Amino acid sequence: MKKHPHSQLKCLVSRQCLIKTPFTWLVATLLCMPVLSQAGDGQSYQALRDWIDNSRPGIESASPGQHLKLKDRESTLEALIPQSAWKYYFFDDMDMSITASKDYPAPDDWGKNIAADYHLDEDGTLVGFTGGGFPFAEINADDPHAGEKVVWNMLWRPGANDYDMPMVTWLRGESGKLDRVMEYTSTNVTYARGDHSLVPGYEEVKSKQVMEFRSPRDMAGAKDMSIRYVDHHRENSGWLYMPAQRKPRRTLASERTGELMGMDMIREDSMGFGGKIYENNWTYLGKRKVLATINVSTNPEFGGPSQWVPHKARWEVRDSHVILVEPKADDHPYSYRVIFIDAETYWTHWMFAFDKKDDQLLRMNQHFLKYSEDFAKEPPEQAPYIKQDFTKSVGHQVFLHLGQVDINAKKPHATMTHCFTNKREFTAARAKQFYSLRNMISGRR
Amino acid sequence: MFMYRNRLANLIIFMSTILASSFSWSIVNIGEDVELEGYVKAYNIMKNGASLFHDGELTHQRNTAQLEGKYYFLREGQAFNRFSAGPIDEATFTFLARAVYDSAYDIRDSYGVLNDRGKEEYKIREAFVDILMAPLSLRLGRQQVVWGETDNFRALDVINPLDRTWHGTRESWEDIRIPLWMARGIWDIGKIGSFDETFLEIILIPDDFQANKVATQYPRPWAFRGIGLQDEAANSVLIGNTLHDLNVTVIDGAPDERKFSNMQGGFRFKGIWNDIDFSINYFYGFSQTTGVKVRSAGLDNLGAFNTVVETVNPRINVFGVTASFSEDRYTQSVFRLESTITSGVPVSIAPGAPHRANPNGNSFDTARQSVVMFGIDRPTWIPALNSLRTFFISTQFFWRRYLDYNDYYRGSFYDVRPAVVNGSTVPNRFVSVNNDKVDQDEFVITFSASTTYGAAGLWKPLFVFAYDPRSTGAYNKIKMEYLYSKHLVFAAEQHLYWRVSGSDQGPWGLGSYLGESGIRRNETVFTATYQF
Repeated sequence: MKKHPHSQLKCLVSRQCLIKTPFTWLVATLLCMPVLSQAGDGQSYQALRDWIDNSRPGIESASPGQHLKLKDRESTLEALIPQSAWKYYFFDDMDMSITASKDYPAPDDWGKNIAADYHLDEDGTLVGFTGGGFPFAEINADDPHAGEKVVWNMLWRPGANDYDMPMVTWLRGESGKLDRVMEYTSTNVTYARGDHSLVPGYEEVKSKQVMEFRSPRDMAGAKDMSIRYVDHHRENSGWLYMPAQRKPRRTLASERTGELMGMDMIREDSMGFGGKIYENNWTYLGKRKVLATINVSTNPEFGGPSQWVPHKARWEVRDSHVILVEPKADDHPYSYRVIFIDAETYWTHWMFAFDKKDDQLLRMNQHFLKYSEDFAKEPPEQAPYIKQDFTKSVGHQVFLHLGQVDINAKKPHATMTHCFTNKREFTAARAKQFYSLRNMISGRR
Repeated sequence: MFMYRNRLANLIIFMSTILASSFSWSIVNIGEDVELEGYVKAYNIMKNGASLFHDGELTHQRNTAQLEGKYYFLREGQAFNRFSAGPIDEATFTFLARAVYDSAYDIRDSYGVLNDRGKEEYKIREAFVDILMAPLSLRLGRQQVVWGETDNFRALDVINPLDRTWHGTRESWEDIRIPLWMARGIWDIGKIGSFDETFLEIILIPDDFQANKVATQYPRPWAFRGIGLQDEAANSVLIGNTLHDLNVTVIDGAPDERKFSNMQGGFRFKGIWNDIDFSINYFYGFSQTTGVKVRSAGLDNLGAFNTVVETVNPRINVFGVTASFSEDRYTQSVFRLESTITSGVPVSIAPGAPHRANPNGNSFDTARQSVVMFGIDRPTWIPALNSLRTFFISTQFFWRRYLDYNDYYRGSFYDVRPAVVNGSTVPNRFVSVNNDKVDQDEFVITFSASTTYGAAGLWKPLFVFAYDPRSTGAYNKIKMEYLYSKHLVFAAEQHLYWRVSGSDQGPWGLGSYLGESGIRRNETVFTATYQF
């Protein structure tokens, strides 16, 4: 007799069978516990989609000057914080300082030097665009390519590059157990500037980045250089200098799905999405108002039971485009990724990625930004190991990234980063010299 | 009195800085321009016999303190925050000092005969100034320069010699390269036609030649004593059925560093062509492998066999090319290639070789040697073993060929054995035999895999495998490192030597003979490191 496919499941739940097989029951219970527990937290993909779809326009607002606390959860906060994050962002002594939503003007010449001849090809790749402005000034919700267009605007946003960024990263487990602290500096420059390249002759280059670790000592001196190209189909180039080897090594840029250096993020999670457009399917889910740390006063302290999330920070209600990303690769760890991108500035506020195995939350990130024009009257914190002149940032009219939270919900574990970002303008000669292979053949030691 | 107090104050300031660092994760800063970092490491090695964990004995208890410092004395065109430095953009001074004390020498009575040789080391290993005047940059001082794409085998990475005295080549080469006084200049060129990111590098070593260092004194644990008796040296020669006393006189024929004509130097042109990193390299130096020329040999009137030998380090010309390419679409791998041709490689010629094989009659020749290395690096998902992070897998195929080969070339695995005359062993008399015939083609394949485990990636396993397909000799290293806290790192590792079949030693120092009685280099290693 053919056994019914569900007979085992039936057996598990039937009383007789439970008595007969207590061990099976115990194992099944233990195996299911983490999943059930997370499902109970409302961290499924479907729960987030329901939250997105069921916006509550009446209460999607917060008064400037108000301090939102746990008591405001149902009345205000649940409408403005994406549901997948509630578990971490709502805690007993939480304190969110609310400021008025503002407009943040882009640089004066933004959009004035764009090369005219560019388009999206059939797989959503932007072809012929060389920067200088947003490629898509208007986003139409009915446009079948609206999702890709929002993300293209995010990838070419003002302020994405041209900075010195000393960083400190804390890796914490539950209850705030500190596993590791890392210090490193990223320096980044835009080559593609619309109608010209910063370094004539390098028109194929979009941007270059050098990142060097400073501590702990087992990582100190490790240095990475990466080049992104204007042609999105061309894979990024990367080199890694390891002091123990005393030479650079070519790296594989197309591997973007493994966690890096113990951090709770993958390379593709960078700023919500740092991968290749053509490797994903895109859906525009509309706009939602969310709370965002878009213009914090300084690098926020971390709070909550595990010290994972910004505490006593300044938040603002922002209109955000909501984008659904579905990786095409069968072996990708995510089934879905949902990104909340600011509708005015195109900086990412929130990202949630769901495990392909069960559609439960796997990773999320949330970003802290500061508008450059506020650096003069309200400078951010200095890095613990270098002092910078933050007045250099004033006048650029861009956002600077002051850090982020990355949470792996399944471990569970979190990575909190403070970025002490300051604008930097490279001359063509200096950029050519600094972002060169020559600069990668030796390092701190 | 004032001076004394001043010194004390300086000491306190220094110690405060060190203590303060114990509460932070960062490099120790002294002011804004000086940075210090380093570690203290206790490194314990126990060697085992052919059967694992049997007959273990402590061979090393190497305690190392390393201090690394950087002084940024010129930034953004200003020296010492005061003076304009003209065309110089930036300059730094870097030093790396190491102190070593191996307490095994005070624990083991048997090491007493070594007269503390290998027990201690106190050195400023590296000290150099970096000067940046875009597009030129200079590094002047004692330093390491590494060329090539190969890991842990010598092809283009021959500028600095290796100190193999205390643990062969089993350590990170950063720690066993012997830094040399040299000048390294780089001209950053950039784009030329279809070449991108190009630069020209020139190195000059005016008067600092050092050969590879190899320990030979028994019972140093990594002393090179051939494959025979480890605790005896040859003292006899058997000619016919007669045993003669052996007297060897060694003349040091190393190049005179003071001679201008003995300078070493080279250049490298590196760039990218069609996404392929490439380099063209040339190095004109001296062989760091020491050869031996027999100056004279024969019986004297008293019947003793006297030989005078000269150690030599011939001039070498190394020409090489490298390439690496990241193939992202089909294989998701980085391919590495390195190839060299070297002239002047010293080789020994078997005693009794015909004149055509030993034309100078000194049992010594120099050969031309080619090397081809092909390697693949790949971050690889093995979800069953690690669902969060990839394994970094790196494999190499290394082929070395003697271009002017003759059948009488001999390697360095000599065999000291008891002297036997007419079937009887003669007490306290030992002869040396060299049956280590060099193969024209030598191969080795290496494989390594590493990843990290734990929520914060604090557990770091490493697996290494090296295999010589001709001798079937193999080596495995299994290591687990644990980043216990911000300062403390622990590691445990096991080194194993084995072979599939036969008894050929091969050229690479792999195979089961290294696990056998006498030599015994299967090792268990425990390390505790305090880093700052």
